[in-house]
Order: sequence, then structure tokens, then C-alpha cells
Amino acid sequence: MATDPEVGHAECERHEALLEDYLNGELSAADAKTSLDHLDKCSACHAALQRAATSTRLLRLAEPWPDPGPGFARLVMARIRATESERVAGRANFWQPFVSFGWRFAATATFAVVALVGYNAGWGHWAQPNEVAARPTQGFDLFAPEPARVPTNGDEVLMMVADNGHEKH
Amino acid sequence: MRNVTKDVAASAPALTLAFQQGEKKVDDRELVRLSQNGAEAAFEELVRRHQQRVFALVAGILHRPDDVEDVAQQVFLKAYLGIKRFDQRAAFSTWLYKIAVNECWDYLRKRKVRPLVYEADLSEEQVSRLDGIVSSSRPPEGPNTRAEMREIIERMLAALSEQDRQLLVLKEIEGFSVQELAEILSLNVNTVKVRLFRARGRIMDTYRRQIPAGKSQVVPAEQGKE
Repeated sequence: MATDPEVGHAECERHEALLEDYLNGELSAADAKTSLDHLDKCSACHAALQRAATSTRLLRLAEPWPDPGPGFARLVMARIRATESERVAGRANFWQPFVSFGWRFAATATFAVVALVGYNAGWGHWAQPNEVAARPTQGFDLFAPEPARVPTNGDEVLMMVADNGHEKH
Repeated sequence: MRNVTKDVAASAPALTLAFQQGEKKVDDRELVRLSQNGAEAAFEELVRRHQQRVFALVAGILHRPDDVEDVAQQVFLKAYLGIKRFDQRAAFSTWLYKIAVNECWDYLRKRKVRPLVYEADLSEEQVSRLDGIVSSSRPPEGPNTRAEMREIIERMLAALSEQDRQLLVLKEIEGFSVQELAEILSLNVNTVKVRLFRARGRIMDTYRRQIPAGKSQVVPAEQGKE
């Protein structure tokens, strides 16, 4: 910053804020007296004030941004409503996978419970082969070889192994 | 305490009508309170009251006319979504303008664009027009003078730093006060004043560089502050 050598840099800086107040018409009487005293002594600040005043006059001639008109508020409100609806829909969509999973889980669990209850009630026995019914009942042949027996559990398997071993000896 | 929400829900259309007809002078604080309780009409009135200054602020910062409306809409949308958290310790306008400033910076960062900057050079015609205005004590006349001046000023402002340009546009063209600028831009009041004063001087330096030697009506920069 170029300053008047007779006045000093710091003092000029202190006055810049006051000179800005002066340009805005906000300088108090006491500060005006101080600034005038400074301007009398400092030619640099005097010139700076002149330049600033000229540019202020130019700047104030420029056209401000025009008002967007009454339609703008309506546009904003429409955008707000659209955003609100999207947010509500978004909230519902967030829970949708959980709801869908819940329904599927409930359906599977119900099916499993029904199957278990049915099995316990005896429906499961119908599906097992009836050994007695499978044997031929008509024309009992004394000389015909005994049909191969199918062991039904582990004990019978052991018994058959033991019988076979005994016959060999 | 009365049930404000119920009252508001019932009276929203009546409120709109009252605002539109100007029958009721409701201040911003009351409108904010009503908006916080869900009255859309009250928020719409706030938009109507502040839209011009938000536009001016956004235009002053972005300097990109095509994007101003979109960003201004986004500012009001953010204000609406955040109004329940606004505690009214500051003025609604200050809170809204801060949202606008942040939205502008976000916009510039996301789009990775810089504010549109004019060429600092003035045409010969513009220089002579400016010289006429500077040397005359009367304001210029003509149908498009102010629009034309805006363009000339924008070109002169292009020589300044981005922040100085914004300060001058917002203060002198769009009419924001020093106090408002300090609050909006989170700066000290004195800092704003000093920057404004120096920026004014720099504009005239730009002008002085544009005109032929010996013709300037303005005090040369060598004598002034830099």
C-alpha cells in the first residue's frame, strides 16, 4: 500500500475503515472530525478517497439482479412437494425388502410346522413299506427257498451276520 | 400453550390469502414459527419475501446467469428441510443467506467450475462512455443505461480477486449492508470495510489502465493506495 511518508502506514490503515463508513454515509461526527484531520495531513488517503468515491458512483449505476417474479415461489413450493413425496416413497422402499423377507419366512415356517405336525400324527407311517403285506400269502410252498429277508434295523443286521457265521461252522 | 399445529393446519388457506392481500403484516419470526409447524403457506410467503435477495446473492457469487435459478431453488429447498432445526437466534435472512453462500460453493466445487469471469478489457466505446460518466456530475441517461453499466462494471471487476469482486457486487449493486456481508461471509466487520475500500480503489486502477494517457479524469493510482 502506497502511503504518505509523512503520515505512516498504520495510521492510514486505521482510517480505511472510517473512510469506507464515510462512503456509506455511516460515519459518526466524532469519527468524521478524526478522518478530516487525517485527510488534511495525508495526500495518499485523500487521493484514495477520491478514487473510491468515483468507483462507488459508477458501481451504483449498475443494474441489480431482477426479481424472479411471483412464479418462482410457486416453482419452489412444487419442488418442495415433489421432494417430500420422494422422501416418503423412499422411506417405504427402505422397509420393502424386510417386509418381503418377513412374509417369505412366515410362509416357510408355517409349511414346516404343518409338515412336522402331520408327521407326528402318523401320516409318515403310510409312506413306509409294510413288510407283512409285501409277503406272498397264497400257495405256501414248503420246498421253496425262504425269500431273502431284508433287515429292518441294526439289531437284525447283527443277528443275520451271527446266523450266517454259525451255519458255516 | 395453544395447539399451534392444529390452528395452522386449519388456517393455512386463510393465511395464504391474508399474505397475498397484504391484510396481515406477519414478521419473519412468526412465519418461521408457522413453517416449523408445517404451514406451507407461511414458508411460501418467506420465499416470496427473500427470493430477490437470494437471487442477487447467488448471482453475485456464481456469476453464471443460467444456473442462478436452479441454485436459488435448491437454497429454498434446503431451508425448508432444515427449518425445524433453525432456533431463530439469528435473523431468518442471515440464516438463509448463509445457506445460499454454502450452496454456491458446493455448486462450484461439484461442477468443478469457476465463476464466469468477463474479459477485463473494455471496448473503446465502453471506455469513452465510462469517461463521460466519470467526468460528468450528472447520472447518465438512456433506456438501457443501467444494464449497459452492469456489463461495463462486470468487466472492470474481472480485474479484482474473486472475494473483492463478490464484496463489491453484493454491497454496491445488490444492496447488502456491511454488517450483512460480514455475517454471511463469516468475516470481521472491519475486514469487510477495509477490503471494500481497497477494492473500490483497484477498480479505478483498471479503468485508468483502459484510457489513453492524459485523458483520465481520475486521480492517478501512484498517488493513491495500492
